[in-house]
Amino acid sequence: MSDISTEAVPLPEIMIFPKRLLNADTTEKLLNRIHGLKHVRQINLHGESLPVVVNYGPGKGHKVDHPQRRVIEVKGEKMELRVQVGRIFVEVDDIDNVQEVSDEIERICDEILPFDFYLEVGRYSKFKPTLTDYLRGLR
Amino acid sequence: MAYKRQFYPGASLPAKNRRRFMDPTQEMKKLREVAMEDVVKILGHRVPGSEYKSIHPPLEEGTEPDCPIRQMVKPLEGAKAGDRVRYVQFTDSVYFAPIAPYVRAWMYLSRWRGIDTGTLSGRQIIEMRERDLEKLAKDLIENETFDPAKTGIRGATVHGHACRLDENGLMFDAWQRYEWNADKGEVEYTKDQVGIPLDVRVSVGKPATDADLRSRTTIFRADGVDMNDDEEVTNVNLRIHKLRTLSGFQPWKVKE
Repeated sequence: MSDISTEAVPLPEIMIFPKRLLNADTTEKLLNRIHGLKHVRQINLHGESLPVVVNYGPGKGHKVDHPQRRVIEVKGEKMELRVQVGRIFVEVDDIDNVQEVSDEIERICDEILPFDFYLEVGRYSKFKPTLTDYLRGLR
Repeated sequence: MAYKRQFYPGASLPAKNRRRFMDPTQEMKKLREVAMEDVVKILGHRVPGSEYKSIHPPLEEGTEPDCPIRQMVKPLEGAKAGDRVRYVQFTDSVYFAPIAPYVRAWMYLSRWRGIDTGTLSGRQIIEMRERDLEKLAKDLIENETFDPAKTGIRGATVHGHACRLDENGLMFDAWQRYEWNADKGEVEYTKDQVGIPLDVRVSVGKPATDADLRSRTTIFRADGVDMNDDEEVTNVNLRIHKLRTLSGFQPWKVKE
């Protein structure tokens, strides 16, 4: 869902920090609700990596088959969830809309998450291409 | 006056639990039953029922050189038979696991012999002769130092001890060696400790409740029992810190 684009001013992000790592089902539900909100520009997911295969040791090459690594569908678009989600960053299109979006997110999280969470406003991900992006030819 | 062995200072709950785990005269509670065959499968070193591989002839054959230490130390069964040295490694969640890696080291060295152990941030390895290791691993899985949800048996990729728990309250495991069986309310191992799938699911029982874990834990935490609130523990730690620092730097300043 993220793309590398330049912003003149870093836009605010709302971080959703749940008390537990989210299952794929919960992530899917949450994303479908948040993605439809007004003023939400993009959503980034952070979490613990879930490898496809055991990558070293005597079990090298065996499939991990982690139930939380699967294809999820968000607003009709299918994507592979490769992490067990721990933090969700919701970028808002203008600082004036942060409160409105934050209230909405809090309501949705209260409804969907069966455990505690907290929200925080800040800027957590890059908002302009880095030198590494330039070297990789991404920009 | 004969020296009376001491284990751990403090009057707080984690301090008492630490002391109890470290004291070999205290018997540990057995909380579950796991068949030896299943333990051998989880360890993954040999096929259950197969012969133990050896790295030297049995000691009874008398090929060892004459040595006073060899005469003094009674060998373990595995050493007698010449077994290979194998390992088991436990990971303990920071979320009030019954035991923490460093306490494991103290407990192992205080209670058992014939082991080599190493502490890392979230895990604790034991190396031992194979048949003795299997017995010890069985004890450690069955007794109160193990919780199905907050303790993991992980030979590699142990990452997860400091991660948040998943929605079922299980410690994160990137290789998913164990799964939550919602119907039974139990945790089941589906892979051995290095991620090779098992032919059967091995149940290690029901996880303890949060309240139970908090009463059994050996972990000091700011949101549980803060180590700073236990004056004796804090003073002993400060003393150790002072002695270790000064002794390596200006040892003449150590007065006590």
